[in-house]
Amino acid sequence: MAIFGKKEQQIVMDGIWNKNPIAYLVMGICSALAVTVKVETALLMAIGTSFVLSFACMVISFLRNYIPSNVRIIIQLTVIASLVIIVDQVMKAYAYEISKQMSVFVGLIITNTLVMGRTEGYAMNNPPWPSFLDGLGNAIGYSGMILTVAAMREIFGSGTFLGHQVIPQAFYQAGYINNSMLLLAPGAFFLLAAIVCLQRSISGYKEEQQ
Amino acid sequence: MPKRSEFYPVGFAFVICAVASLLLASVSQGLKPMQELNMGLDLKKNILRSVKLTPPVPPHASPREVTQIYTDAIQLAVIDDQGNIVPGKKPDDIKGRQGLYPLFIYQKGGIVQGYCFPIEGKGLWSMLYGYMSIEPDGKTVRGITFYKEGETPGLGGEIEALWFQKNFEGKKIWDDVRQQTVPLAVAKGKVQDRMPKEKWPYYVDGISGATLTGKGVSALLESWIRTYEPFFMKLHRN
Repeated sequence: MAIFGKKEQQIVMDGIWNKNPIAYLVMGICSALAVTVKVETALLMAIGTSFVLSFACMVISFLRNYIPSNVRIIIQLTVIASLVIIVDQVMKAYAYEISKQMSVFVGLIITNTLVMGRTEGYAMNNPPWPSFLDGLGNAIGYSGMILTVAAMREIFGSGTFLGHQVIPQAFYQAGYINNSMLLLAPGAFFLLAAIVCLQRSISGYKEEQQ
Repeated sequence: MPKRSEFYPVGFAFVICAVASLLLASVSQGLKPMQELNMGLDLKKNILRSVKLTPPVPPHASPREVTQIYTDAIQLAVIDDQGNIVPGKKPDDIKGRQGLYPLFIYQKGGIVQGYCFPIEGKGLWSMLYGYMSIEPDGKTVRGITFYKEGETPGLGGEIEALWFQKNFEGKKIWDDVRQQTVPLAVAKGKVQDRMPKEKWPYYVDGISGATLTGKGVSALLESWIRTYEPFFMKLHRN
C-alpha cells in the first residue's frame, strides 16, 4: 500500500475541493460565520480546527473496532473535547492575547458539526491513515473557506487585512466608506452563500437524485 | 466480532475517561508556569491601560519591556479601611487579610498622575474583573478596564470594548454641591437621552441588550468606590 498514492491523494482532494465540507456538505457553517470578522481569528480557528479534526479522526479510527456502538457518540465527544482543551491550554500559554478573544469560539470546536460528522461518517469505518488524511483534507477545505470569507469581510468591512490598513486613505477622502454590513452576521451569510454558489458551479456539484 | 459482555461499554468508557483525564491534567500542569506568566503580564498591562499611561505601552512590547515600564511607572501601596497608606506593605502581602486594600500609584517625574485599584463583582453570568483609576483630585475617573469576564460575546462582553471603557473617562464620583460620594452607575441606553443634564457626570452609557451586565457593573462600582472612599476623602483635603 502506498503511503500517499492515488487513493490517498483523492481522499485529501475530496476534502479540499470536490466534497468541501462547507460548500458540499454544508457543515461547520456556525463557526464560519462566528469567527470570520477578522482574518487573524479565522486563521487561529482554522489552525485549531485542523489540529483537532485530523487527530480526532485518527484517534477514533484507531479505536473504531473497540468502541461499543451504543456509546460511540459519547466516546467521540470525549476524544474531541480532550483535544480541544489541549488546543485551548496551549493557546493560553503561547498566544494569551488571542486566547482571551478566542476562548469562547475554541469551545465551539467541540460542537462543530464538521468534526462530529467526519469522525462518525468516515473515521468509524476506515483505517487510521486514510482517516487522518480525510480529516486533514476536510480541515484544509474548511480553513480555505473561512479564510476566504474572513479576508473579504475584513478588507471590505474594515479596510484592513490582518490588522494592516490596505484600503488607501485617499479612497476614504474620495468618499469611499467601509461596508459595515459585512461585519455583522447577515453580511457573512450573503458572502458565504455567494462563495458556496461559486464553488459549486466550478466543482460541478449536482443534487443527489431521490 | 466476538461477543462482548454487557459491561464492556461501561469499562470502555471508564478507560477512555481515565486516559483523557490523565492527559489533560498533565497538559494543564505542564503549561501552568507559562500561563501564569501571561496572566501576570496581562494584569500589568491592564493597570497601565487603566491609568492611561503616557505614552502608552507599545503594542508589541516584549514581556521584559512591559515589566520594566510597569516597575518604572507604578508604585505599589496598600491602604487600610480608614484610607491611610500602610507603610512597607505591598499588594501581595494582603492575601486574606481583612480591611486592607491594594493601591497602584501612577507617577511620572515624581508627580502622582493617578490612583488605580482593582474592581470585581458579579455580572449576569460570570465574575467581572478589572481596574479603575482615579485622578489625583480623588473626584474624577481617569480610566477603567475589564480584563476578565464570561458574559455573552457581543452583548455583556462589550464591557471589554474600548468605547464602553472610554465612556468612563472624566466622569465624577464626587458631587461638589452636595459634598458627597456619588457612585458612578451604568445608564440604560445613552446617558444623553435618558438622564437630566445635571446627572450626566455620574452615569455612563449602557450597552444595549446587556442591561443586567450593566446592573452588575453599577453594583461593583458602588461597592468598590465606597471601599476606597475614605482614601479619596483624604485626597480632597490635600
